[in-house]
Amino acid sequence: MMIALNAVSFRYPRGNWILKDINLHIESKKCTFMVGPNGGGKTTLGKLMTGILKPTLGDVFVDKLNTKQAKLYQVGTKVGYLFQEPERQIFAATVRDELAFVMELKGIEKEVIEQRVEVALVRFQLQEVADSFPFQLSRGEKQRLALATVLMNNPSFLILDEPTTGLDVERKERLSEIIRELKKRGTGMVIISHDERFVEKHADRIIIVAGGGARDGG
Amino acid sequence: MAGKVSLDPRTKLFMVLAISSLAVFLTNIYLLLLVLLLAVAALAFAGGSIVDLLGKLKRLIAIFIAIVFVQSIFTKGGQPLLQAGELVILSDIGLTRGIQTMLRFFIILSSAAIMTTSNPREIIQGLIQCKVPYEIAFMVTVAIRFFPILRDEVNDIMTAIQLRGINLKQVPFLKRLKTYSYLLSPMLFSVFMKSQDLSVAMEMRAFRAYPRRTSLRVLHFRTQDYQVMALCTIIFLAIVFTALKAG
Repeated sequence: MMIALNAVSFRYPRGNWILKDINLHIESKKCTFMVGPNGGGKTTLGKLMTGILKPTLGDVFVDKLNTKQAKLYQVGTKVGYLFQEPERQIFAATVRDELAFVMELKGIEKEVIEQRVEVALVRFQLQEVADSFPFQLSRGEKQRLALATVLMNNPSFLILDEPTTGLDVERKERLSEIIRELKKRGTGMVIISHDERFVEKHADRIIIVAGGGARDGG
Repeated sequence: MAGKVSLDPRTKLFMVLAISSLAVFLTNIYLLLLVLLLAVAALAFAGGSIVDLLGKLKRLIAIFIAIVFVQSIFTKGGQPLLQAGELVILSDIGLTRGIQTMLRFFIILSSAAIMTTSNPREIIQGLIQCKVPYEIAFMVTVAIRFFPILRDEVNDIMTAIQLRGINLKQVPFLKRLKTYSYLLSPMLFSVFMKSQDLSVAMEMRAFRAYPRRTSLRVLHFRTQDYQVMALCTIIFLAIVFTALKAG
Protein backbone atom coordinates (compact mmCIF):
# COMPACT_ATOMS: atom_id res chain seq x y z
CA MET A 1 0.00 0.00 0.00
CA MET A 2 1.16 3.52 -0.75
CA ILE A 3 -0.07 7.04 -0.18
CA ALA A 4 0.91 9.43 -2.95
CA LEU A 5 0.46 13.19 -3.08
CA ASN A 6 0.90 14.63 -6.54
CA ALA A 7 1.33 18.42 -6.80
CA VAL A 8 -1.05 18.95 -3.90
CA SER A 9 -1.99 22.43 -2.75
CA PHE A 10 -4.64 23.23 -0.19
CA ARG A 11 -6.50 26.21 1.14
CA TYR A 12 -9.85 26.67 2.83
CA PRO A 13 -12.48 28.63 0.85
CA ARG A 14 -11.50 32.31 0.80
CA GLY A 15 -8.41 31.49 2.91
CA ASN A 16 -4.66 31.62 2.34
CA TRP A 17 -2.71 28.68 0.95
CA ILE A 18 -1.82 26.30 3.76
CA LEU A 19 0.10 23.81 1.60
CA LYS A 20 1.66 24.47 -1.79
CA ASP A 21 2.72 22.00 -4.46
CA ILE A 22 3.44 19.01 -2.23
CA ASN A 23 4.82 15.86 -3.87
CA LEU A 24 5.19 12.93 -1.49
CA HIS A 25 5.22 9.17 -1.69
CA ILE A 26 4.69 7.42 1.60
CA GLU A 27 5.54 3.74 1.49
CA SER A 28 3.87 1.12 3.60
CA LYS A 29 5.73 -0.92 6.22
CA LYS A 30 7.65 2.17 7.25
CA CYS A 31 7.24 4.60 10.08
CA THR A 32 7.26 8.11 8.67
CA PHE A 33 7.24 11.08 11.02
CA MET A 34 5.97 14.52 10.11
CA VAL A 35 7.58 17.24 12.19
CA GLY A 36 7.62 21.01 12.04
CA PRO A 37 6.42 24.17 13.76
CA ASN A 38 2.84 24.77 14.91
CA GLY A 39 0.61 25.94 12.09
CA GLY A 40 2.97 24.51 9.47
CA GLY A 41 0.28 22.30 7.93
CA LYS A 42 1.09 18.87 9.43
CA THR A 43 -2.48 18.10 10.55
CA THR A 44 -3.85 19.42 7.25
CA LEU A 45 -1.47 17.12 5.38
CA GLY A 46 -2.59 14.18 7.55
CA LYS A 47 -6.24 14.97 6.85
CA LEU A 48 -5.52 15.20 3.12
CA MET A 49 -3.96 11.72 3.26
CA THR A 50 -7.20 10.25 4.59
CA GLY A 51 -9.62 12.19 2.40
CA ILE A 52 -11.08 14.14 5.35
CA LEU A 53 -9.95 17.19 3.38
CA LYS A 54 -9.84 17.22 -0.40
CA PRO A 55 -6.92 18.95 -2.14
CA THR A 56 -7.67 22.29 -3.76
CA LEU A 57 -5.16 21.43 -6.49
CA GLY A 58 -3.49 18.13 -7.32
CA ASP A 59 -4.42 14.59 -6.28
CA VAL A 60 -4.00 12.33 -3.30
CA PHE A 61 -4.00 8.58 -3.89
CA VAL A 62 -4.51 6.01 -1.15
CA ASP A 63 -3.47 2.84 -2.94
CA LYS A 64 -5.34 3.39 -6.18
CA LEU A 65 -8.15 5.43 -4.64
CA ASN A 66 -8.17 9.09 -5.55
CA THR A 67 -9.47 10.80 -2.39
CA LYS A 68 -11.30 13.39 -4.53
CA GLN A 69 -13.67 10.69 -5.73
CA ALA A 70 -13.41 8.12 -2.94
CA LYS A 71 -15.87 7.99 -0.06
CA LEU A 72 -14.47 8.29 3.46
CA TYR A 73 -15.52 4.76 4.39
CA GLN A 74 -13.55 3.40 1.41
CA VAL A 75 -10.39 5.11 2.66
CA GLY A 76 -11.34 4.11 6.22
CA THR A 77 -11.10 0.40 5.36
CA LYS A 78 -7.42 0.92 4.47
CA VAL A 79 -6.28 3.80 6.67
CA GLY A 80 -6.87 4.42 10.37
CA TYR A 81 -6.73 8.02 11.57
CA LEU A 82 -6.14 9.22 15.12
CA PHE A 83 -7.39 12.77 15.61
CA GLN A 84 -5.30 15.30 17.51
CA GLU A 85 -8.21 15.73 19.94
CA PRO A 86 -9.33 12.24 21.02
CA GLU A 87 -12.81 13.49 22.07
CA ARG A 88 -13.53 14.02 18.40
CA GLN A 89 -13.60 10.30 17.69
CA ILE A 90 -15.26 8.99 20.83
CA PHE A 91 -19.03 8.75 20.98
CA ALA A 92 -20.34 5.62 22.71
CA ALA A 93 -21.74 5.41 26.24
CA THR A 94 -18.99 3.18 27.67
CA VAL A 95 -15.40 2.32 26.80
CA ARG A 96 -16.49 -1.24 26.02
CA ASP A 97 -19.24 -0.02 23.63
CA GLU A 98 -16.77 2.29 21.94
CA LEU A 99 -14.46 -0.61 21.16
CA ALA A 100 -17.30 -2.89 20.03
CA PHE A 101 -19.10 -0.27 17.92
CA VAL A 102 -17.60 -0.98 14.49
CA MET A 103 -17.74 -4.76 14.87
CA GLU A 104 -21.41 -4.61 15.89
CA LEU A 105 -22.26 -2.57 12.81
CA LYS A 106 -20.36 -5.04 10.67
CA GLY A 107 -22.48 -7.86 12.10
CA ILE A 108 -19.60 -9.78 13.73
CA GLU A 109 -20.66 -12.45 16.24
CA LYS A 110 -21.15 -11.26 19.80
CA GLU A 111 -18.66 -13.74 21.30
CA VAL A 112 -15.92 -12.72 18.87
CA ILE A 113 -16.62 -9.04 19.65
CA GLU A 114 -16.39 -9.63 23.41
CA GLN A 115 -13.15 -11.53 23.01
CA ARG A 116 -11.54 -8.84 20.85
CA VAL A 117 -12.73 -6.07 23.18
CA GLU A 118 -11.13 -7.82 26.17
CA VAL A 119 -7.83 -8.14 24.28
CA ALA A 120 -7.91 -4.41 23.40
CA LEU A 121 -8.74 -3.43 27.00
CA VAL A 122 -5.69 -5.31 28.26
CA ARG A 123 -3.44 -4.14 25.43
CA PHE A 124 -4.24 -0.48 26.09
CA GLN A 125 -4.51 -0.81 29.89
CA LEU A 126 -8.15 0.23 29.94
CA GLN A 127 -9.60 -2.67 32.01
CA GLU A 128 -10.17 -0.43 35.05
CA VAL A 129 -12.32 1.99 33.07
CA ALA A 130 -14.03 -0.53 30.76
CA ASP A 131 -17.54 0.44 31.90
CA SER A 132 -16.90 4.16 32.41
CA PHE A 133 -18.30 7.01 30.36
CA PRO A 134 -15.48 7.74 27.87
CA PHE A 135 -15.78 11.51 28.15
CA GLN A 136 -14.91 11.42 31.82
CA LEU A 137 -11.60 9.65 31.27
CA SER A 138 -8.29 11.46 31.62
CA ARG A 139 -6.66 12.88 28.49
CA GLY A 140 -4.18 9.97 28.38
CA GLU A 141 -6.95 7.37 28.76
CA LYS A 142 -8.99 9.01 26.00
CA GLN A 143 -5.91 8.99 23.78
CA ARG A 144 -5.39 5.27 24.41
CA LEU A 145 -9.07 4.51 23.84
CA ALA A 146 -9.10 6.47 20.57
CA LEU A 147 -6.02 4.59 19.34
CA ALA A 148 -7.53 1.26 20.44
CA THR A 149 -10.74 1.96 18.48
CA VAL A 150 -8.72 2.83 15.38
CA LEU A 151 -6.78 -0.43 15.65
CA MET A 152 -9.96 -2.52 16.16
CA ASN A 153 -10.50 -2.03 12.43
CA ASN A 154 -7.11 -3.64 11.56
CA PRO A 155 -6.08 -0.90 9.10
CA SER A 156 -3.08 -1.58 6.86
CA PHE A 157 -1.95 2.02 7.29
CA LEU A 158 -2.16 4.41 10.24
CA ILE A 159 -2.02 8.18 10.52
CA LEU A 160 -1.54 9.30 14.10
CA ASP A 161 -1.79 12.97 14.97
CA GLU A 162 0.21 13.69 18.13
CA PRO A 163 -0.32 10.23 19.72
CA THR A 164 1.97 10.91 22.71
CA THR A 165 0.06 13.97 23.95
CA GLY A 166 -1.18 13.41 27.51
CA LEU A 167 0.68 10.11 27.98
CA ASP A 168 2.94 9.56 30.98
CA VAL A 169 6.38 7.93 30.62
CA GLU A 170 5.04 4.41 31.24
CA ARG A 171 2.13 4.82 28.76
CA LYS A 172 4.48 6.34 26.20
CA GLU A 173 6.68 3.26 26.50
CA ARG A 174 3.57 1.07 26.04
CA LEU A 175 2.70 3.07 22.92
CA SER A 176 6.28 2.50 21.69
CA GLU A 177 5.79 -1.24 22.12
CA ILE A 178 2.53 -1.07 20.15
CA ILE A 179 4.26 0.85 17.36
CA ARG A 180 7.05 -1.75 17.25
CA GLU A 181 4.41 -4.54 17.08
CA LEU A 182 2.62 -2.75 14.25
CA LYS A 183 5.89 -2.24 12.36
CA LYS A 184 6.64 -5.96 12.71
CA ARG A 185 3.19 -6.75 11.32
CA GLY A 186 3.94 -4.51 8.35
CA THR A 187 1.48 -1.72 9.18
CA GLY A 188 2.64 1.52 7.58
CA MET A 189 2.46 4.65 9.70
CA VAL A 190 2.58 8.40 9.41
CA ILE A 191 3.00 9.99 12.81
CA ILE A 192 2.73 13.69 13.48
CA SER A 193 4.75 14.53 16.56
CA HIS A 194 6.71 17.17 18.43
CA ASP A 195 8.21 14.60 20.78
CA GLU A 196 11.85 14.49 19.61
CA ARG A 197 12.83 11.38 21.62
CA PHE A 198 9.80 9.53 20.32
CA VAL A 199 10.67 10.56 16.76
CA GLU A 200 14.31 9.43 17.17
CA LYS A 201 13.20 6.09 18.57
CA HIS A 202 10.80 5.09 15.79
CA ALA A 203 11.41 7.13 12.65
CA ASP A 204 12.39 5.38 9.43
CA ARG A 205 11.85 8.63 7.60
CA ILE A 206 11.29 12.22 8.74
CA ILE A 207 9.38 14.80 6.72
CA ILE A 208 9.66 18.43 7.77
CA VAL A 209 6.45 20.36 7.13
CA ALA A 210 6.85 24.12 7.36
CA GLY A 211 5.83 27.27 5.54
CA GLY A 212 3.40 25.45 3.26
CA GLY A 213 6.02 22.98 2.00
CA ALA A 214 7.25 19.49 2.88
CA ARG A 215 10.80 18.18 2.53
CA ASP A 216 12.69 15.11 3.61
CA GLY A 217 14.67 15.65 6.78
CA GLY A 218 16.36 12.29 7.21
CA MET B 1 -21.14 46.32 -3.38
CA ALA B 2 -21.53 43.05 -1.45
CA GLY B 3 -18.97 42.72 1.30
CA LYS B 4 -18.12 46.42 1.34
CA VAL B 5 -21.13 47.84 3.19
CA SER B 6 -20.46 48.07 6.88
CA LEU B 7 -23.82 48.41 8.62
CA ASP B 8 -24.39 48.94 12.31
CA PRO B 9 -25.49 45.63 13.93
CA ARG B 10 -28.64 47.40 15.16
CA THR B 11 -29.54 48.16 11.54
CA LYS B 12 -29.04 44.50 10.71
CA LEU B 13 -31.17 43.51 13.69
CA PHE B 14 -33.88 45.87 12.45
CA MET B 15 -33.75 44.24 9.00
CA VAL B 16 -33.88 40.74 10.51
CA LEU B 17 -36.88 41.65 12.70
CA ALA B 18 -38.75 43.21 9.77
CA ILE B 19 -38.09 40.28 7.46
CA SER B 20 -38.83 37.60 10.08
CA SER B 21 -42.07 39.34 11.12
CA LEU B 22 -43.21 39.31 7.50
CA ALA B 23 -42.38 35.59 7.28
CA VAL B 24 -44.63 34.88 10.26
CA PHE B 25 -47.42 37.27 9.26
CA LEU B 26 -47.77 36.54 5.52
CA THR B 27 -49.66 33.59 4.05
CA ASN B 28 -49.63 34.55 0.36
CA ILE B 29 -47.03 32.38 -1.39
CA TYR B 30 -46.08 35.07 -3.95
CA LEU B 31 -45.49 37.63 -1.20
CA LEU B 32 -43.50 35.09 0.82
CA LEU B 33 -41.39 34.44 -2.28
CA LEU B 34 -40.86 38.19 -2.69
CA VAL B 35 -39.77 38.48 0.96
CA LEU B 36 -37.37 35.57 0.47
CA LEU B 37 -35.78 37.37 -2.50
CA LEU B 38 -35.54 40.54 -0.42
CA ALA B 39 -33.95 38.60 2.47
CA VAL B 40 -31.34 37.12 0.12
CA ALA B 41 -30.68 40.57 -1.37
CA ALA B 42 -30.33 42.03 2.14
CA LEU B 43 -27.85 39.28 3.03
CA ALA B 44 -25.76 40.05 -0.06
CA PHE B 45 -25.95 43.79 0.76
CA ALA B 46 -24.72 43.12 4.31
CA GLY B 47 -21.74 41.20 2.94
CA GLY B 48 -22.96 37.64 3.53
CA SER B 49 -22.28 34.69 1.23
CA ILE B 50 -25.24 33.59 -0.89
CA VAL B 51 -23.35 30.44 -1.95
CA ASP B 52 -23.02 29.34 1.70
CA LEU B 53 -26.70 30.11 2.29
CA LEU B 54 -27.80 28.07 -0.75
CA GLY B 55 -25.68 25.17 0.50
CA LYS B 56 -27.51 25.27 3.85
CA LEU B 57 -30.96 25.58 2.23
CA LYS B 58 -30.22 22.68 -0.15
CA ARG B 59 -29.70 20.36 2.80
CA LEU B 60 -33.20 21.17 4.09
CA ILE B 61 -35.10 20.41 0.87
CA ALA B 62 -35.79 16.75 1.84
CA ILE B 63 -37.30 17.88 5.17
CA PHE B 64 -39.65 20.27 3.40
CA ILE B 65 -40.78 17.66 0.90
CA ALA B 66 -41.63 15.49 3.92
CA ILE B 67 -43.56 18.44 5.46
CA VAL B 68 -45.69 18.73 2.30
CA PHE B 69 -46.79 15.09 2.65
CA VAL B 70 -47.32 15.32 6.43
CA GLN B 71 -49.47 18.45 5.94
CA SER B 72 -51.47 16.66 3.23
CA ILE B 73 -52.08 13.57 5.37
CA PHE B 74 -53.11 15.43 8.53
CA THR B 75 -55.01 18.42 7.04
CA LYS B 76 -58.66 17.79 6.31
CA GLY B 77 -60.29 19.19 3.17
CA GLY B 78 -58.84 20.36 -0.12
CA GLN B 79 -58.57 18.58 -3.43
CA PRO B 80 -56.62 15.33 -3.33
CA LEU B 81 -53.74 15.30 -5.82
CA LEU B 82 -52.45 11.86 -4.90
CA GLN B 83 -54.17 9.24 -2.82
CA ALA B 84 -53.83 5.59 -1.84
CA GLY B 85 -57.33 4.21 -1.21
CA GLU B 86 -58.97 6.44 1.41
CA LEU B 87 -55.70 8.03 2.50
CA VAL B 88 -54.88 11.37 0.89
CA ILE B 89 -51.10 11.45 0.42
CA LEU B 90 -50.92 14.80 -1.38
CA SER B 91 -53.60 17.50 -1.43
CA ASP B 92 -53.67 21.06 -2.74
CA ILE B 93 -53.96 22.44 0.82
CA GLY B 94 -51.06 20.26 1.99
CA LEU B 95 -48.96 21.40 -0.94
CA THR B 96 -49.76 25.08 -0.26
CA ARG B 97 -49.04 24.81 3.46
CA GLY B 98 -45.86 22.85 2.83
CA ILE B 99 -44.61 25.52 0.42
CA GLN B 100 -45.57 28.25 2.93
CA THR B 101 -43.66 26.50 5.71
CA MET B 102 -40.65 25.99 3.44
CA LEU B 103 -40.61 29.65 2.37
CA ARG B 104 -40.97 30.80 6.00
CA PHE B 105 -38.02 28.67 7.09
CA PHE B 106 -35.92 29.87 4.16
CA ILE B 107 -36.76 33.50 4.92
CA ILE B 108 -35.94 33.14 8.62
CA LEU B 109 -32.65 31.34 7.85
CA SER B 110 -31.68 33.90 5.21
CA SER B 111 -32.46 36.84 7.48
CA ALA B 112 -30.70 35.23 10.47
CA ALA B 113 -27.60 34.83 8.26
CA ILE B 114 -27.49 38.65 8.07
CA MET B 115 -26.50 38.77 11.75
CA THR B 116 -23.55 36.44 11.13
CA THR B 117 -21.93 39.18 9.03
CA SER B 118 -21.24 41.16 12.24
CA ASN B 119 -18.65 40.04 14.75
CA PRO B 120 -19.99 38.83 18.13
CA ARG B 121 -18.50 41.79 20.02
CA GLU B 122 -20.40 44.25 17.79
CA ILE B 123 -23.64 42.31 18.27
CA ILE B 124 -23.30 42.47 22.07
CA GLN B 125 -22.61 46.18 21.88
CA GLY B 126 -25.57 46.69 19.54
CA LEU B 127 -27.92 44.85 21.90
CA ILE B 128 -26.60 46.75 24.93
CA GLN B 129 -27.19 50.07 23.18
CA CYS B 130 -30.74 48.81 22.46
CA LYS B 131 -31.08 48.60 26.29
CA VAL B 132 -30.95 44.81 26.38
CA PRO B 133 -29.31 43.77 29.72
CA TYR B 134 -25.65 42.84 29.22
CA GLU B 135 -26.15 39.31 30.61
CA ILE B 136 -28.87 38.56 28.03
CA ALA B 137 -26.84 40.14 25.22
CA PHE B 138 -23.84 38.05 26.23
CA MET B 139 -25.92 34.85 26.24
CA VAL B 140 -27.23 35.58 22.75
CA THR B 141 -23.70 36.07 21.49
CA VAL B 142 -22.44 32.90 23.13
CA ALA B 143 -25.24 30.97 21.41
CA ILE B 144 -24.32 32.45 18.02
CA ARG B 145 -20.63 31.81 18.68
CA PHE B 146 -21.15 28.14 19.53
CA PHE B 147 -23.34 27.09 16.59
CA PRO B 148 -20.43 26.64 14.14
CA ILE B 149 -18.43 24.78 16.80
CA LEU B 150 -21.28 22.32 17.38
CA ARG B 151 -21.69 21.87 13.63
CA ASP B 152 -17.96 21.10 13.30
CA GLU B 153 -18.22 18.56 16.12
CA VAL B 154 -21.10 16.74 14.43
CA ASN B 155 -19.09 16.69 11.19
CA ASP B 156 -16.04 15.30 13.02
CA ILE B 157 -18.09 12.52 14.62
CA MET B 158 -19.61 11.57 11.26
CA THR B 159 -16.10 11.63 9.75
CA ALA B 160 -14.74 9.44 12.56
CA ILE B 161 -17.59 6.93 12.10
CA GLN B 162 -16.98 6.69 8.36
CA LEU B 163 -13.21 6.49 8.81
CA ARG B 164 -13.80 3.28 10.72
CA GLY B 165 -14.78 1.84 7.37
CA ILE B 166 -18.54 2.13 7.83
CA ASN B 167 -20.77 3.01 4.91
CA LEU B 168 -23.80 4.38 6.72
CA LYS B 169 -25.98 3.93 3.63
CA GLN B 170 -25.46 0.19 3.79
CA VAL B 171 -26.10 -0.13 7.52
CA PRO B 172 -29.61 -1.52 8.28
CA PHE B 173 -32.12 1.21 9.21
CA LEU B 174 -32.42 0.40 12.94
CA LYS B 175 -28.67 0.13 13.41
CA ARG B 176 -28.27 3.39 11.50
CA LEU B 177 -30.70 5.10 13.89
CA LYS B 178 -28.59 3.83 16.79
CA THR B 179 -25.52 5.26 15.07
CA TYR B 180 -27.18 8.67 14.79
CA SER B 181 -28.05 8.48 18.48
CA TYR B 182 -24.28 8.33 19.08
CA LEU B 183 -24.12 11.93 17.88
CA LEU B 184 -26.08 13.09 20.91
CA SER B 185 -23.88 12.04 23.82
CA PRO B 186 -20.64 13.71 22.68
CA MET B 187 -22.57 16.83 21.69
CA LEU B 188 -24.40 17.13 25.01
CA PHE B 189 -21.24 16.41 26.94
CA SER B 190 -19.31 18.94 24.93
CA VAL B 191 -22.00 21.60 25.46
CA PHE B 192 -21.96 21.03 29.23
CA MET B 193 -18.17 21.05 29.39
CA LYS B 194 -17.93 24.21 27.30
CA SER B 195 -20.54 26.02 29.38
CA GLN B 196 -18.76 24.98 32.56
CA ASP B 197 -15.38 26.15 31.26
CA LEU B 198 -16.91 29.37 30.00
CA SER B 199 -18.56 30.11 33.35
CA VAL B 200 -15.25 29.55 35.18
CA ALA B 201 -13.42 31.76 32.68
CA MET B 202 -16.08 34.46 33.13
CA GLU B 203 -15.80 34.33 36.93
CA MET B 204 -12.00 34.53 36.65
CA ARG B 205 -12.39 37.68 34.57
CA ALA B 206 -14.76 39.20 37.16
CA PHE B 207 -17.93 39.05 35.08
CA ARG B 208 -20.60 41.26 36.74
CA ALA B 209 -18.17 42.38 39.44
CA TYR B 210 -19.43 45.95 39.10
CA PRO B 211 -23.05 46.96 38.52
CA ARG B 212 -22.18 49.50 35.84
CA ARG B 213 -20.33 48.53 32.67
CA THR B 214 -18.56 50.88 30.33
CA SER B 215 -17.65 50.09 26.74
CA LEU B 216 -14.40 50.84 24.97
CA ARG B 217 -16.16 50.92 21.63
CA VAL B 218 -19.50 52.66 21.21
CA LEU B 219 -21.55 52.18 18.04
CA HIS B 220 -22.83 55.19 16.13
CA PHE B 221 -25.48 55.14 13.40
CA ARG B 222 -24.28 56.52 10.09
CA THR B 223 -26.27 57.98 7.22
CA GLN B 224 -26.37 54.65 5.40
CA ASP B 225 -27.91 53.00 8.48
CA TYR B 226 -30.75 55.53 8.51
CA GLN B 227 -31.22 55.07 4.77
CA VAL B 228 -31.36 51.28 5.05
CA MET B 229 -33.81 51.41 7.97
CA ALA B 230 -36.05 53.87 6.14
CA LEU B 231 -36.03 51.73 3.01
CA CYS B 232 -36.72 48.64 5.11
CA THR B 233 -39.69 50.36 6.80
CA ILE B 234 -41.15 51.47 3.46
CA ILE B 235 -40.83 47.97 1.96
CA PHE B 236 -42.26 46.41 5.14
CA LEU B 237 -45.30 48.69 5.14
CA ALA B 238 -45.83 48.25 1.38
CA ILE B 239 -45.85 44.45 1.73
CA VAL B 240 -48.16 44.54 4.76
CA PHE B 241 -50.50 46.93 2.93
CA THR B 242 -50.51 44.67 -0.18
CA ALA B 243 -51.17 41.59 1.97
CA LEU B 244 -54.07 43.28 3.78
CA LYS B 245 -55.54 44.52 0.51
CA ALA B 246 -55.27 41.05 -1.05
CA GLY B 247 -57.12 39.71 2.01
